[in-house]
Amino acid sequence: MSDIFPKWTNQLPLMAAVAAPILGLTAIAGITYYVTPKYTRVGYQPKQPVAFSHAIHAGQLNMDCRYCHNGVESSWFSNIPSTSTCMNCHSQVKKDSDKLALVRDSFASGKPIEWVQIHKVPDYVYFNHSVHVNRGISCVHCHGEIQKMEEVAHSKPLSMGFCLECHREPEKYIRPNELVTKLDWKNTGFDGKKAVHDWKVQPGQSCSTCHR
Amino acid sequence: MKTVPPPCPEPEVGPKYWRSLDQLADKPEFRQWMEREFPAGASIAPEGETRRDWIKLMSASFMLAGAGGFATGCRRPEEVLTPFAKQPEGYVHGKAQHFATALPLRGSAIPLVAKSHDGRPVKLEGNPLVPGGGGTDGFAQASLLNLYDPDRSYRHLKGGSDAKVEAVRDALAEVAKKASANGGEGLVFLAERSSSPTRARLQGEIAKKYPKARWHVHEAVDFAVANEAASLFYGADVQVFHDLSKARRILSLDCDFLGAEAEAYRLIRGYARGRKPSKETMSRLYSVESLMTLTGGNADHRLRVRPTDVVRVAARIGVAVLSQSGATGELLPALQKLAAGAPVTDAWADECAKDLLSAKGAAVVMAGYAQPLAVHVIAQAINSVLGAHGPIVQAIPATVPKADGGIADCVADLSKGVETLVILNGNPVYDAPADLAFGEAIKKAKTVIRLGQQEDETSAASTWHVAGAHFLESWGDARTADGTVVPVQPLIEPLFGGLTDIEVLARILGMEKALPLDLVRATFGQDDAAWRRFLHDGFAKDSAPQPLEASAVQLGKATALIAGYTAPASSGFDVVLQRDLSVDDGRFNNNGWLQEIPDPITKVTWENVILVSPATARELGVSAAAHAKDGQYRQPLITVTVGQRSVEGPVWIQPGLADKTVGLALGYGRKVTGRVGRGSGHDAYPLYLKDGRHVATGAKVTAGKRRHLVAVTQEHGLMEGRPVIREANLDQFLGKPDFAKNMDLEAHLPHYVPYKDKPDGRSFDKRPQNIYEHPYDENPETASKIHQWGMVIDLSQCVGCNACVAACQSENNIPIVGKDQVARGREMHWMRIDRYYSHDPKADVNSDTAAEDPQMAIQPMLCQHCEAAPCESVCPVNATVHDEEGLNVMAYNRCIGTRYCANNCPYKVRRFNFFDYNKREPDYAAAQDQHFLNFGNLYKGPAGINRNAAPEWEIIKLVRNPDVTVRMRGVMEKCTFCVQRVEQAKIARKVAVGNSGDVAVPEGTIQTACQQACPAEAITFGNILDGESAVSKLRKDPRNYSVLGFLDTRPRVTYLARVRNPNPALAKAEGRGEPDSLRDYERFRHESPFEQHGHGEGHSPEKHAGSPAQKGAA
Repeated sequence: MSDIFPKWTNQLPLMAAVAAPILGLTAIAGITYYVTPKYTRVGYQPKQPVAFSHAIHAGQLNMDCRYCHNGVESSWFSNIPSTSTCMNCHSQVKKDSDKLALVRDSFASGKPIEWVQIHKVPDYVYFNHSVHVNRGISCVHCHGEIQKMEEVAHSKPLSMGFCLECHREPEKYIRPNELVTKLDWKNTGFDGKKAVHDWKVQPGQSCSTCHR
Repeated sequence: MKTVPPPCPEPEVGPKYWRSLDQLADKPEFRQWMEREFPAGASIAPEGETRRDWIKLMSASFMLAGAGGFATGCRRPEEVLTPFAKQPEGYVHGKAQHFATALPLRGSAIPLVAKSHDGRPVKLEGNPLVPGGGGTDGFAQASLLNLYDPDRSYRHLKGGSDAKVEAVRDALAEVAKKASANGGEGLVFLAERSSSPTRARLQGEIAKKYPKARWHVHEAVDFAVANEAASLFYGADVQVFHDLSKARRILSLDCDFLGAEAEAYRLIRGYARGRKPSKETMSRLYSVESLMTLTGGNADHRLRVRPTDVVRVAARIGVAVLSQSGATGELLPALQKLAAGAPVTDAWADECAKDLLSAKGAAVVMAGYAQPLAVHVIAQAINSVLGAHGPIVQAIPATVPKADGGIADCVADLSKGVETLVILNGNPVYDAPADLAFGEAIKKAKTVIRLGQQEDETSAASTWHVAGAHFLESWGDARTADGTVVPVQPLIEPLFGGLTDIEVLARILGMEKALPLDLVRATFGQDDAAWRRFLHDGFAKDSAPQPLEASAVQLGKATALIAGYTAPASSGFDVVLQRDLSVDDGRFNNNGWLQEIPDPITKVTWENVILVSPATARELGVSAAAHAKDGQYRQPLITVTVGQRSVEGPVWIQPGLADKTVGLALGYGRKVTGRVGRGSGHDAYPLYLKDGRHVATGAKVTAGKRRHLVAVTQEHGLMEGRPVIREANLDQFLGKPDFAKNMDLEAHLPHYVPYKDKPDGRSFDKRPQNIYEHPYDENPETASKIHQWGMVIDLSQCVGCNACVAACQSENNIPIVGKDQVARGREMHWMRIDRYYSHDPKADVNSDTAAEDPQMAIQPMLCQHCEAAPCESVCPVNATVHDEEGLNVMAYNRCIGTRYCANNCPYKVRRFNFFDYNKREPDYAAAQDQHFLNFGNLYKGPAGINRNAAPEWEIIKLVRNPDVTVRMRGVMEKCTFCVQRVEQAKIARKVAVGNSGDVAVPEGTIQTACQQACPAEAITFGNILDGESAVSKLRKDPRNYSVLGFLDTRPRVTYLARVRNPNPALAKAEGRGEPDSLRDYERFRHESPFEQHGHGEGHSPEKHAGSPAQKGAA
């Protein structure tokens, strides 16, 4: 009786047994690296219509975040400033700069500037800015060191795991309320555990905290 | 620990409560059907496909989906943010704004607070600041959807083709020019009723400027007959309203004041406040009625009579009241003459009269809009003896100028020749009395200018159709029933450039710039501070006229009227044409939310049915026979004929309906309407005649052979006859206030200790045995020590009006599914109002005579937020879990649609998205076909999304609440306790306190949507950890019980047992000394909740440590 299968096929099960875990591990590693927000979102840095530099405004000039993002303390949404906010200063400062042409046009015509959105959580996530900035959580935790960015880039993954890191251990991140916009603050002696206890910070970890 | 399910005995045979005649009959087919979680058809694939076809189709879909994913890339699309160029003052993006406004409806208005997100109104709520305000009804909730109705009138028309608004203005200016020249000769107005002070002012100006112009008023359902009767007594034009909170005895003469009457939301609030069980203050309601209505169902004593007999019964009770109070005069003999042959026992009439008189000054008689003037006059005559005028019945001088006539006068004018007919809202071609042939008469007018929010029958007959503005789009004003002036404040510019009635009138008066805001300001006055206050509070303080003195009441004219009145002879059938609680008189016909809300009594959706009593059905030879196939109601069509006119529709056997009576709801069967209303129901207006109006006599009824599918929800989510509603009479309740805890299995079995708050406020102590895991028993540290939410629903106060269901639909983005889907049991309402009947145990259950005069009970049913939730333990993907604060939450993204949770839910409150209802037009049209299995859009998959649909279809998306996720196909959903409101309140509190630990949300901050809308104040929501909160106190109320408490699911929604308050003397005479359901309960269980059975409440679990069930668990 002649062989139906050649001899080397005897090795097939062994080869499969060796190859399967390798392939599997590669797939897992690939997905972990390429298909999570750490890869897909971090570093996203679209070109904005106006070359606004946070490094100059928030860094050099040390302006408070809330001067422009003034809705952050009362709304779920941290607003992009209206053109009129820009013009508060720029009707005096650098009022003829070419870079500000679009801003001046917008102010004159009433047509909004179309800023490209960078940070966005999905529609089914109900993130609220006001409750974080009023309870000692700084902008820097989610947005990174904005005061050093010429053009804003997405610096944290903003995935659910990222949110939960802090919701599980708020004492590592909490700081005095008046310092939430001090992006370069270093903790020297502030007792997070005590703050979490005294302010009754109990960040929800169940679905309904963010999904409704 | 291994948990062993405790023995769960089947409920004893025999219905204690039943929801349908089939359940009463309790045939095996019915039981088989009931025991399925989803009605047959809900979970099957469409016919004609094999399993193999499905697998092929599915794998192809997966491939396509995969390919699509790679082609489009994983990166999300680039989106831009466009902030304002100039920031409006006080506007913060993302923060909702609230404005006071009002829904004007006929002669009154419902004061509202409208919530606006980024300039678009998304939710309407009652305005609690306004005297008598706070609750709403279903119409007010759903009126929001009318704003975003894709089928509303979006253009002006001249002779059927589009016209510009300038052309409309020119046409109105032309009318003004002509009228100024000839003093209004040939100018006729036909307006719907309105309470607007501005319209009243303009009406007066028109009468002055154009003395020859005629002004007529038409409403198909007109509540003004009550005012007419009262005017006879006060000797002046008056408007009446009732303050029922002070009433201790109420007699309703065919008056459905808990449902169909004017300002029902306000009457319900007053009534419900009087229903708190107490010996001294609890009110008692007698109802004499022909149809089965909410008022009759809630009544302590109900007498069913033919509609034409109501006047006789009224006279008979009047005789008893007058003779018992020793009154003399001519009224008594006049009433005696009229009372001859009244179908009421002497005991009923005399005991009722005696009881009314025993509460002099706190007793009132109310008459319904369907009844003739004589009944209203008798009611007011009795009221004058009872001293109701003043404390309860209040009259204010009429706030609107008298009209020249009604629709009949308008037709008379038309036949004489009319130059210009101006129709201000309303749809007279559809809803005018049939024998006036208004559709023909209107053709005699040279020009017809018609203002309306819909393109309908009347616009088709008009020269000009002027698109009307919704009340949230344009300025106006109105008065509530007590005369308080409320603003109609717009939140948005008219979406389609519509006009309002005051604008049209101002232009006809020759004003060039008729801005609605200016017109309202001119009426209100120029005081800016008062105006701002007016807009902020939503009413003008002290703007209500002073009620007239009760001493002004004179009986003279009333006596003459009653003496001259002859009661109609009863021959053949009487037909009652009632205001529908879904579509009103037809004006809400194109509103999907209202169409899909089940009728409070019949539970029929999407259409009207012809109501007959069980005896009449026997006579006609029709039967319910619903369960011939899968619980689908295929009802025989019957024809009702009055004279030459007839109406054909599906028959509905209504328990409790008067014999020889046919009930028909108005407002359906529209010929020209939008996509939602098209084809729904049958038109009852052919029987609506100028004499008699809501009651037609001498009708013939003939049964036909054909059958018609009716989508009805009364058997959806059945509870198998367990005592889920617990009720007792007042004296029984006073004898044993905690009777409700002493019923069903929890009264017997020691380890089924009914859930009770412990005095120390801790709610999650460990029980000896749990069937289901308790998340806080397993991990006590997960439970929040700050908030634990709970809800209590008072069954004594709930009247079953549906306002909560509509509010929930609006707040939580609940889609409508269409008639076809409702018939399959796929409706999505998170709340359902279960309506139960219970019958006199003396009656023979095996014949339908048991259904002839049932008692009714109402129970709102929603997710019970069980602490030990059966749904959670069966979910394979943890999509439904407990949060820290006692909410049973759904993570839609985790849900894979196994539907195990719904299967395991003992309360049957979970809803599954069988289709992408939000993306596809529901199958309204398909549902109208006789062929049930006519699949529409929903079944076409991706092809069902009509990408070429008219662009206005997009507008409907604007109605959605941005705070709530819009669910997609394949996920389960259910009541969330309005988690979005809870979270927002918590966030607002934390923001307010900053770095302080005072984070507990203060009592009263959170109101769920259903609670806010509830006119009866039956729903209480709050923090059960706060011992002082209203909800904590109610949970300690002796009436508090859990539905299916023996399952030890420990629901966070508990109910307060219903207490009836029958007149002991009359109850004895009727042989119904306790609630029917309770007698049945005692008969089958051989025990009474009013006696201690040696087990149950107060029995410590330790005592029973050796019980067999416990041993089994060890």
